[in-house]
Formats: sequence, structure tokens, C-alpha cells
Amino acid sequence: MSVSNVGSEPLPRQRGVGALRWLGRGINLPLLIGAAAFAAYASGAGPYDLRLISIAGIYAILVIGFQFVFGYAGAISLAQSCFFGLGAYITGVLGARYGLEATITFPLSIVGPALLAALVAYTVLRLEDQYFALATLSISLLVQLVVTQWQTVTGGTNGLSGIPGITLFGWTIASRWGTMVAVWVLVVVAGVLAFQITRGLYGRAFHLMRESLPVASALGLDVARMRFAAFVLSAGYAGAAGSLIAHVVHVVSPEQVGLPLMITCLTMTVIGGRLSVAGAVLGAVAIVYLQEQFRSLQNYTLIAYGGVTLAFVIAAPYGLIGALERLRGMITAPRRGAVPTAQPIPRPAAMTRPQGPALLSVVGVVKSFGGVRALDDVSLSLQPSEIVGLIGPNGSGKTTLLNVISGLYESDAGRLEFLGQDATRLPAFRIARLGMARTFQHIHLVEDMSVVDNIALGRATAEGVGLKNAIAAFHRDDGLDRARGIAISAARMLGVEQHATTLCGGLAYGTRRRVEVARAIAAAPQLLLLDEPAAGLNEEEQRDLAARIRSIAALGVAVLVVEHNLVFLGALAERLVCLDQGRLIADDTPDAVRSHPKVVEAYLGAPA
Amino acid sequence: MSLLQILFNSLALGSVYALVALGFVLVVNATGAVNFAHGDLVMAGGYAAVFFGSWLGLPLILLLPLVAVAMFILGVAVCFLAYFPLLKRPPSSVFISTLLCGIMLENGYIVMFGPEIKAGPPLLTTGSLDLPPISLSIQSLATIGVAGLLIALQYLVFFRTQLGRRLRAVSQDREMAQAIGIPAFTLIAVTFGVGTALAGIAGAVLSNQFFVSPTGGVSLSIYGYIAVVIGGWGSILGAVVGALIIALFQVGASTVVPYTVATGGLYVALLVILFLRPQGVFGERVQRRV
Repeated sequence: MSVSNVGSEPLPRQRGVGALRWLGRGINLPLLIGAAAFAAYASGAGPYDLRLISIAGIYAILVIGFQFVFGYAGAISLAQSCFFGLGAYITGVLGARYGLEATITFPLSIVGPALLAALVAYTVLRLEDQYFALATLSISLLVQLVVTQWQTVTGGTNGLSGIPGITLFGWTIASRWGTMVAVWVLVVVAGVLAFQITRGLYGRAFHLMRESLPVASALGLDVARMRFAAFVLSAGYAGAAGSLIAHVVHVVSPEQVGLPLMITCLTMTVIGGRLSVAGAVLGAVAIVYLQEQFRSLQNYTLIAYGGVTLAFVIAAPYGLIGALERLRGMITAPRRGAVPTAQPIPRPAAMTRPQGPALLSVVGVVKSFGGVRALDDVSLSLQPSEIVGLIGPNGSGKTTLLNVISGLYESDAGRLEFLGQDATRLPAFRIARLGMARTFQHIHLVEDMSVVDNIALGRATAEGVGLKNAIAAFHRDDGLDRARGIAISAARMLGVEQHATTLCGGLAYGTRRRVEVARAIAAAPQLLLLDEPAAGLNEEEQRDLAARIRSIAALGVAVLVVEHNLVFLGALAERLVCLDQGRLIADDTPDAVRSHPKVVEAYLGAPA
Repeated sequence: MSLLQILFNSLALGSVYALVALGFVLVVNATGAVNFAHGDLVMAGGYAAVFFGSWLGLPLILLLPLVAVAMFILGVAVCFLAYFPLLKRPPSSVFISTLLCGIMLENGYIVMFGPEIKAGPPLLTTGSLDLPPISLSIQSLATIGVAGLLIALQYLVFFRTQLGRRLRAVSQDREMAQAIGIPAFTLIAVTFGVGTALAGIAGAVLSNQFFVSPTGGVSLSIYGYIAVVIGGWGSILGAVVGALIIALFQVGASTVVPYTVATGGLYVALLVILFLRPQGVFGERVQRRV
């Protein structure tokens, strides 16, 4: 298992002895040694230590689950402890009061919290950062209230005791040692499942989503669904962990639902690392033992614990795993993966289909913000292979028009037709999936992911990324391999192939621009929207980019370019469209538009 | 309880909450992050009142400047400890660092003052004015007066002075503010200090009627948070209104149902609000910039 923070699946390896290469990669070797040492210690541990080891394992499962929503989806959920407590109470109540065994209570403890998560997801998942945190906190507090008040079932503030150990099909795991082993078997299962879900293209899609929701949507990613999956998964994991804690400590109480546990979970995630399974395990074990060490300080325990953790948060932003990886990076330079073999960018299927009169037609679109009409009755159409420049002074509505066309904004009035389909009310990811791709004025790339993987995200939708496919991808993620192959072709078209295995964070501005265009190209769109692609490029780079855009259009792709740079556009566009204060004032050949009196007036003011 | 009495009691509680929420939103604006230690800092003000009160034996109103200064210093310390080292990190890091500060504060109170509940001195004196059908406790009246004064002062500073304009500039765009020569970091530290001083005064004021305890701040953090969400993220007036709404809800609801049910009702109400208006009650629907 590789544990690098972003993008777990390595680039295709060269032939060699697989196991040895695996050991040599990243920090796998020290982690393996650490795991072996821990296993050796566990095998000889006394009863008290066995209990601690079990608890650490349970928290590891809790944290692995939390990484989905906190690490991957990037949302501060404060409901993780409530899902944990819910799982504990389901097992506790059914086990202690009705004598049901784990065969029944364990699945129910997973399903219960997952159902609650699914139920509240619609309300909470559309909330932004801080609102989401508060909403999940409220849910958590509500569950806590129910648990303390519903005394007849939950035992109120005292909780429930006498919860039996793990019993499967009539066979009870009686010893502490056996329980510990059972817990850690489940840690492995939970870890492998999480790794499987996140190692391929699907996990990478989350990194882009976290970087920018609109950018991910415009590449066809159903971000609402991804967030939903992450939230429900985290709840299921928490429920499983909760069920286990009930079996191990034989008591359930409101503390297992509360805020302090939530803080512990957050702390473990931050200390270990937000994105890797190894980080979750490391964080859980470290914190459980840290709390244990500080126990002798009595009242000062939590003060010391808070101080140490705070120091760690400040000193090691990527957690223990990140710190280890940096250390490793100091010893030897990280080996770069091999460049994947190029695969041709597929022609979109619809390209061969007979089409209506225009690829894209925008009819009478209106969009207002407050009292400002950003777009006022704008109509525009594009044919295949056509390159159209969209110009206009600052604030004239160019980017707003792109946002309406790509579905990020819904227009107030008017109609949008793409490939003969009514796309007026379609969300961005649906429009993107029809065959539209775009770039943004501000570049959004995943910094600590390689160029080829960033571009490969353009293929995410075409490869059908999703939870099901991610779990079903045994051995290697074929979708990722194909996407990387196509990404190489796209990188070649934009002339960034030599940077394929470089991390995007270290690239020059112009290169980043081209990587972004390559990502859009990799999606094999029929319509490409470019928002100021030449901004910040020098003249030579501009000429180069123009040539590359022309070669893309030659494949049959229609291109709409927002640009201020008329020299760049003059060499590129066959037609210019000019917006002024939300109105379309000219739509003609470049020369005609440049000398159009209204255009001149818009740029230079009315003639005296 | 008569309706008038409910309104008065709500206003008294609400003005304390308003001070809490005001400090909370100031820090939110300055840093873009939630200060989850805020409620615990409120308790610090309460403990300061208890401490100074028993030491000096003066009515609280005379101790307030002392509390404010002590809390200002504490706030700046929190800023240096939990915010400045994390400037380049996502807001969630600050969320966690302030949570950790909160844990340290809570346990610090246990060590210094013990786990039991304490009561601080009244602002002026105990007793009440009986104006049937309602009874106005002097403490409540003084609370409303102090809170009203501070909120008005805050408003004046923020919207009528050069300092206020600079503070607002920093909260809108720190880097741009720095670029035009505003000492952004000093102002952020000051904002932390002022926000904490407001929290401390709130704590000192409520220490008499509502008592202080080591973990009493957690729910106040949450109320401040809820008030800011109801009022629209970052809106100062909204936070004050949000705080008053929470108090009205709590006082009103607990006249008919037990307190725990009223608290539960508050969370349900919040979720319903977020369901209907994901941008808060007074918040404008802002479209994400892309």
C-alpha cells in the first residue's frame, strides 16, 4: 500500500521485482517496519495494553472513515462522533437489552448511521464550509440530546452497561486477545476498502473538487454525488467503529456521542494525515498513547495534550505521514514514475452524428445580479471547427456568458441549445458530459499532483468515475491507465509532455495555463471554452498557444475564446463577438468588428 | 410569565449573547475562520470577574475596564498562538487550533478554579424594580445598558472612523490592504483582542446571573456561531440580531417546554433555517466566483 498524500496509485512502473520496488517507494519500508514492531508488541501485550491496542484500532477505523469527508471532500463534518455514538448505541441497546449478537448488530450499526447521513445529506451537503460545520454540529448535539433524554432505551446520562463481547453465528470471541485481533482485522478491511476507493481516478477527482467545485463541475464531475458518497461512507465507518467500542468497553454512554470525542477524532486525523490510511492508523495509535502517557499528569493532562497537539498542527501541516515523507525526501530524491504510453484522444461519439444547424446556440439570454444586468438579451451561435473570439471591456459580461453557457450560472431568461439539446436548465456537470469543456480565468490545478494526472482528470467523466467502479477496479485501475495515456496525447498537443511527471505546484505560469487547456482537451469536447488563455503569456508563448488551438479546432472542435488581447485573437479567430455592458454589440469578422463604431466607442468612449 | 416579561428577559439574555456574537463575528471577519475558543474566552471573562470581584470587592461595573484589558491581552495571545502560525493553511486548521486552545483553557479553569460553578459580582447591585406586571432586575437592566453601549461604540468605531475603515479593508482582502500600506497583522491582532475583550465583558456580565463553569463556554461558542449564521456570515448587525433571536427563542420556548427540549428546538430551528435559506436569514445569496 502506498501512502503518499495525494494520488495513491503510482505511475506505471518499469518491469522489475514488484515487492522490492514497492518497499523502495516512498515511506513504505519504515511503515512496514513500524507495523511489524507494533504487531510484535501487540502479540506480547498484557490485558490492559490489549484493551488500549483495541481502542486504538477502533479509532483508526473511525478516522479512516473521517478522511473521506474531511480529507477527500474537504468538509469539516462535526457529526462523525455522533455517527460513532449511534453505532455504539445500536450495538449496545440491541446487545444488552435484547441479547442480539454481532452478526446482526454490526451490520445494523453501519447501516443506521449511514441512513441518518443520507437523510440529512440533502440539507447539509449544499451548505458551504462554515455552515456545513455548524449544521453537522447541530445534528450531533440533537442526537446527543435524544440519547441523554430517552432514558428507557438508552439509560440516559448513565448509559448502558453489560454489553456482551463479539459473537458471530453463536461463536463468542471471549478473550481480549481475540477481540484485539478481530478489531485489527477489521482495521485492515476498512483500510483496504478505503485505499481501493481512493487510489485511482476517483480519489484524484476529489482533489480537484476540493481545489475548486466549479472547475470540477465544469469537467463533468457530479460533485454533489461525490460529497454525498464521502459523507455516507464516513458515517458507515463511524458506525462500525462505534459498534466495536461497545463490544470492547462493554459500556455505552453519552460521552461516545459528544464533542470531546469529535475533537479527538479531528486531532487524530490532523496528526496522522488527512488522506492516507497509514496516517489514520498512525494518528489513532499516537493519540491513544499520548493520552495514556499524560494520564499521570491528572488535571494537567488535557492542557498538555492540547499544547502538544497544537504544536504539532503548527509544525507538521501534513501530519506524521507528511513529516515522514519530507524526511524521506531529504534522504533520497523521490523517484518519478515512468511516462505512460500515449493513447489517442478519442473523437466524441456525437461528432459523427448528424447535427442541427449549430453546435451551440444561445438565444436571448438574460442574467442579472441584484440590480445589475450582466447579460442582456445575448444571442450567439457556433459551428463545428469554428474559432470565435469573445471580446469586450472589463465587466462587459464575457465571463458571465461563459458561466451561463457552461451551466455554472442559470440564466434568468433565454434559451441555450447544445448539440441540438435544450441545455438551458442543465447543471454544469451534465452540460460538460454532453461534450463541453472549459478553462478558467484563475488556474485551478491540483498542486501536489503530477501534470499527467491533472490532465487525466479531464477523462474522469468519460471513464465513468464513481464509487462502484473504484471498488470494482481490481489490481490496477484501468480507467486511470487509459486516462493517463490520453492525458499524454493532450499534453503533447499543448507541448507540455516533457513536464508529464512533474508536480503542478512547481510549474511556471505559462506551462500551468497550457496544462489547464490540455485537461480540457483530454475530455474530447465538441465545444471548448477558453477564458483568457493568453493572459500572462509572452508573445512567443501566445503564438504557440494560438497554433495549438487552431490544430484543436481542425479536429472539428468549436472554440470560444474570451480574450482582451486583440493581436492574439486576430491571429486565431475567424469571427469576433463583442459585448458591452451585457449587450452584444457586434458579431462579425475580426476586421469588421474592430472598426465597428459601437466597438470603438465601447473601448475608447464616445467620439467628441 | 407575561409577554412583556418574556421580552425583557430575552433582551437581557440576548444582549449578553449579542456581545458574544459580536466578538465572534469580528474575529470571523478579520481571519475568515471560526474561533472555536470564543466561548471559552467568554468564561475567562467570567472567571476574571469572579477573581477581581472577590479580591477588590467592587461592583462589576468598575471592574469591567480591568477585565477588558486582561482579556484584550489574552485575545492577542490566542491570535499569536492559534492564528498567525497558520496563516498559509486552510481555515480548517484555524478551526482545529482554536478548538485546542479551548481545551487548554477549559482545563486551565479546572486547575485554577476547580470544576464547580462560580458566581461573579453583580454589575451594580442585586434587587429589582417591580413595575407590575413585570419585574426588572437591576442586573438585567445594567446588562442591557452595558451591552447596548458597547455595541453602539463598536458600530461607531467600525463605520465612522479611519481605524474601522482599515479593519474592514483587512477583513475584505488582507493582501490588498497590506499593499496599500495598512498594517494588516497588527490590525488582525487588535481585532482578536477587541473580540476577546467583548467576549470577556459578556462573560463578566453573565457571571452573576448565569454563573461560570469550566465547560460553560462550549454552548456559548455554538450560540455565537449560530447567531452569525442566522445573521448572515460576516454581518455585524446580523450577528447582533441573530443573538437576540436565539435568546428570544430560548426564553420563550423554555416557558412552555423543559429547557433541554428548548435547546433541541433551537438546533432543529437552525437546521430548518439552513434547509430553507442555505445563505442564512439575512445573508444575500452570493454566487460563487469562478
